[in-house]
Amino acid sequence: MGVRFPSPALLNMSLTIKENKGIPYDLLDNAGVIVIYLNVNENIVFCNKRTEKLTGLKHGDILGANWLKVLFHNNSSIIKQDMFKAVLDECMRHNREKDFEGIILDNEGNKRLISWNFTPVRGENNQAGGALLIGHDITKIREAGNSAKSIDETLKDILSSLKDYALYVINLQCNITYFGMGSEIMLGWKREDIIFKHASILHNCGEAGDNLDLILEQVRLSGKFEKETVLLTKTGEAIPVILTVNKFLGSGGKHSGYIFVAKDITERKKLEYQAFQAEKLAALGLLSAGMAHEINNPLLVISGRSSLLMKEKLSRKVKNDLDLINSQAERIHKLVDRILKFSQKTKLDFGPVDVNEAIEFILPFAQYSNLPNVKVEIKKNFEKDIRAVKGDLHQLQEVFLNLVINAYQSMPEGGEIKITTESTGDLFALIQIQDTGIGIPEERLKDVFMPFFSMRRDGKGLGLSICHNIIKSHNGSIELKSQVGRGSTFTIKLPFI
Amino acid sequence: MAHKVLVVDDELPVRDLLNDLLKRESYIVTVCPSGEEALELLKKDSFDVVLLDIKLPGISGLEVLKNIRDTNKGLAVIMITGFGYNEDLICKTKEFGCSGYIGKNMPVAQIITTFKQIVKGAKNEQ
Repeated sequence: MGVRFPSPALLNMSLTIKENKGIPYDLLDNAGVIVIYLNVNENIVFCNKRTEKLTGLKHGDILGANWLKVLFHNNSSIIKQDMFKAVLDECMRHNREKDFEGIILDNEGNKRLISWNFTPVRGENNQAGGALLIGHDITKIREAGNSAKSIDETLKDILSSLKDYALYVINLQCNITYFGMGSEIMLGWKREDIIFKHASILHNCGEAGDNLDLILEQVRLSGKFEKETVLLTKTGEAIPVILTVNKFLGSGGKHSGYIFVAKDITERKKLEYQAFQAEKLAALGLLSAGMAHEINNPLLVISGRSSLLMKEKLSRKVKNDLDLINSQAERIHKLVDRILKFSQKTKLDFGPVDVNEAIEFILPFAQYSNLPNVKVEIKKNFEKDIRAVKGDLHQLQEVFLNLVINAYQSMPEGGEIKITTESTGDLFALIQIQDTGIGIPEERLKDVFMPFFSMRRDGKGLGLSICHNIIKSHNGSIELKSQVGRGSTFTIKLPFI
Repeated sequence: MAHKVLVVDDELPVRDLLNDLLKRESYIVTVCPSGEEALELLKKDSFDVVLLDIKLPGISGLEVLKNIRDTNKGLAVIMITGFGYNEDLICKTKEFGCSGYIGKNMPVAQIITTFKQIVKGAKNEQ
């Protein structure tokens, strides 16, 4: 295969070549590509200005010179020269055009990536006449391409860094086709384990979440789904998220699936819930204080009058009844006291508190609440020399006492109370009181810190709300995890002094 | 000699009860329903003890106490309240110079015992 070009004989006239008016040499000279013509001896018989510019050699020095010496004038790499030579040999031997990319150094020592086209030239009688080398400098194009590639990589980096966001894509068959790093962290699935699985695996949360089909239906109808919902982790835990779903448009803008972006809002939900609880408790506190005052006055009259009557001469029956009135009034007084205590902002006497000592102190008192003939084992797992927390000793003792009594009372058949103290990081001490008692049903967990909540028939339901208030006033937190039939664990976090 | 007590409480049944309880203990009791009336009575008559409710319509028990202390440092003034044991209130009443504090949530016998102790303490101070 050849090209229409001046005969080698003509070209071999070298220096006079430009004077041939039949060939558009000016055009070649000014072409934006490197044009080199070699004779059968592989010497350059023609080159355009671009070649001079690239090599830094003068026209006169190039013409007649060996092509490799010219092209590798600035770089004597034998290996690369061999590669170029091999391509030319093949081109000549097989009389076949060759395209390849090769790097040469320009006169300033910069690497130039050239896309070469070597074309054998046949002369008269189809004899080998040499080769035409056309080189297109694609350094800049490739750099632009590379930077396009690096945008791709940057995007990948960005997606990997979005650890707070689960980003995943599904195809129209609802199979997961992309599962980002954030998704792995949030949902516990490894990319390779979930890819191509049906996405309902993440959305099958029953009533708590949104059905995948309905989500997609909404995207199809209104173009977008955005809502607070829940997603399922690998372990089956439902985590609250803000989920945004859009159509995923593939190449050519074709609807090829859906893109899901979920933000984990567990912490925010927790804070919202705590704030809501605190507000509710504060309102209840105010209400209780007013109510307690209104109860105490008439109650004082009832108990006062019955005490006065007791001093009169009355039948045994009447005296018994008065006694009953008095004892019942006394019961109400005590209840009101508890309510008042709950509602009052008692002045706190903050100082360093050793939680281990505080717990040790209350344990003997708590044991009184143990029922006779019921075996309860106390296991202490205290961090030795744990740093002191900032707190009011008596109030914290009351909290620990309440919780340990609570644990005793939740185990009418006996069991084990495990008390753990440990540091979590530099900021907090963690105190856990764990029992193997009856536990609390999940739907009632949210109410345990509310006043008047009790799982026991005779319980007043104020102990835990008082604990909650005390821990809150210590800038700490108290949480309960419980399973019916397995027991409950209270976890308190208190800031170190 | 029996002590003269002024009982100030806006609720009639409570006033009456305190009257009866204290009379049984041989105190000479005068009752009145408001702080304003109490201050008037204190100007006209002399008392050994004032048993003063904190929450009163019009001027509050604490204001009455402050008023008394402006002119009479020695008079025993015992605050009584339906709010029960309240540290904030106790601190406040102490600051204003009350002689003692009784919660209406206490058992009746304890109210009387506490009352007597405070009066005794106040007298000793004098």
